Amino acid sequence: MMRRAATVLFAIVLLYPLAGLLVPVGAWRWGDPATADAVRVSLVLTAIAMIVVVLIGTPMALAIARASARERLVWQAILLVSVLVPPLALGILFSLAFGPHALGAYLDRVGLKMTNTPLAFVVTQVYVSIGYYILGAVAALDAVPAALGVQAGLLGANRWSTFRRVTFPIARLGFAVALSLAWVRALTEFGAVVVTAYYPAGMPVAIWTGLENFGLPAVMPLLVVFLLTALPLPWLAHLFAQRRIARA
Amino acid sequence: MLDARVIKARAPFTIDVALQVARGASCGLFGASGAGKSTILACIAGAETPDGGTIELDGRRLYPPAIPLHQRSLGYLTQDAALFPHLRVAENIRFGLAPAQRRERSAWIDELVERLDLGALLHASPRAISGGQARRVALARMLAPKPPLVLLDEPFTGLDRQLVRELLTAIAGWQRELGFTLVVVDHDADILARLAPRVVAIEHGRTIADGSWDEIRAHPATPLLERLLAPL
Repeated sequence: MMRRAATVLFAIVLLYPLAGLLVPVGAWRWGDPATADAVRVSLVLTAIAMIVVVLIGTPMALAIARASARERLVWQAILLVSVLVPPLALGILFSLAFGPHALGAYLDRVGLKMTNTPLAFVVTQVYVSIGYYILGAVAALDAVPAALGVQAGLLGANRWSTFRRVTFPIARLGFAVALSLAWVRALTEFGAVVVTAYYPAGMPVAIWTGLENFGLPAVMPLLVVFLLTALPLPWLAHLFAQRRIARA
Repeated sequence: MLDARVIKARAPFTIDVALQVARGASCGLFGASGAGKSTILACIAGAETPDGGTIELDGRRLYPPAIPLHQRSLGYLTQDAALFPHLRVAENIRFGLAPAQRRERSAWIDELVERLDLGALLHASPRAISGGQARRVALARMLAPKPPLVLLDEPFTGLDRQLVRELLTAIAGWQRELGFTLVVVDHDADILARLAPRVVAIEHGRTIADGSWDEIRAHPATPLLERLLAPL
């Protein structure tokens, strides 16, 4: 009885911050054009970032999953750097590494500006999220028994065909979970993006500037949209994954 | 013809075994657990990479270099049926057939299904069938593409004797009919003798005897082999 009460209390504590949406802060200011712009910037550029993450991250995950234990350790160490670097520090490092005194000088010559552009926004998002995607995808691939790949190969399936017909269908929920984590990581990124791409302002930066300049009533609508675009995808992916694990 | 010499470092010894099996013939690998039999088969199949030696099948070099699994043209069945869990039984069986082959070989697939008594399972998920049924599905799936070489690594372990007898009869019949080369690993001398008149005895990664069952039984090369061949 005590244990049940304690777990219920813990659940309430975890969910309690959402009650903040019900706190009266004055009339919410709907219809602000800046809100719509921020939503569009975040959703479109994060979607582009996710395409890049999947296109680069999936073959990388396959390569790492097939690598020797030693190589995997090296790759994990490298990936964890992108995952663990504090966002604000990353933003500053990005600005320096892609700034005019480094790689930025060469990129500028071919018309690629790495500060306050959609490109800077997407590159920052890809960097902060691709580690999550690859580590999750490798875990999903590891859960597929190697014997299945051997049998598929001996039955005539080449590597791509084995991935398409056997590995991916079995691991797809794991890939979905990995992608949803990458999505929420990229969409909610603030510390690095605020340095590298203050413009175009995505939702996190728009919320922060709106809060600073106009107060809570101005940012509450955007906050709701922010929660609705960030939470459901990973939430549902995890629930489906847990349900499949429970059924297996 | 299978012409192989497999060298594989594996604690506490290095396997170094040469094996020649004529096309359409069968050979049993016999020995105690841990002697290296399964590793030899895994190296020939391509599931493991040898550290040395050569493997040729009907004049084609399989190793070195290790050619990709999909170019090996061989069937490999182990204790783990390794059925594809997201595909139904029928789809598992037809996995190794190209779309055009599926129509051409429908009579052959029907025969496999009938002989292995899989008719009632075709629409079942691999998760919903027993271990013995899964082994039968894996056998059908392996034989569907009619591979020129079949490697069996103790696929009968844990199955009831009646089912084993039926499977042995079916496999021996299909070998005569299709003419595939057969290499079988089993710790049960009776099962091996049913499939392979020739036996290669392995001990600590080395060949200690190669001949007919009568020869091996008449003159066991080592005390361990004598004990393994002794009736219960």
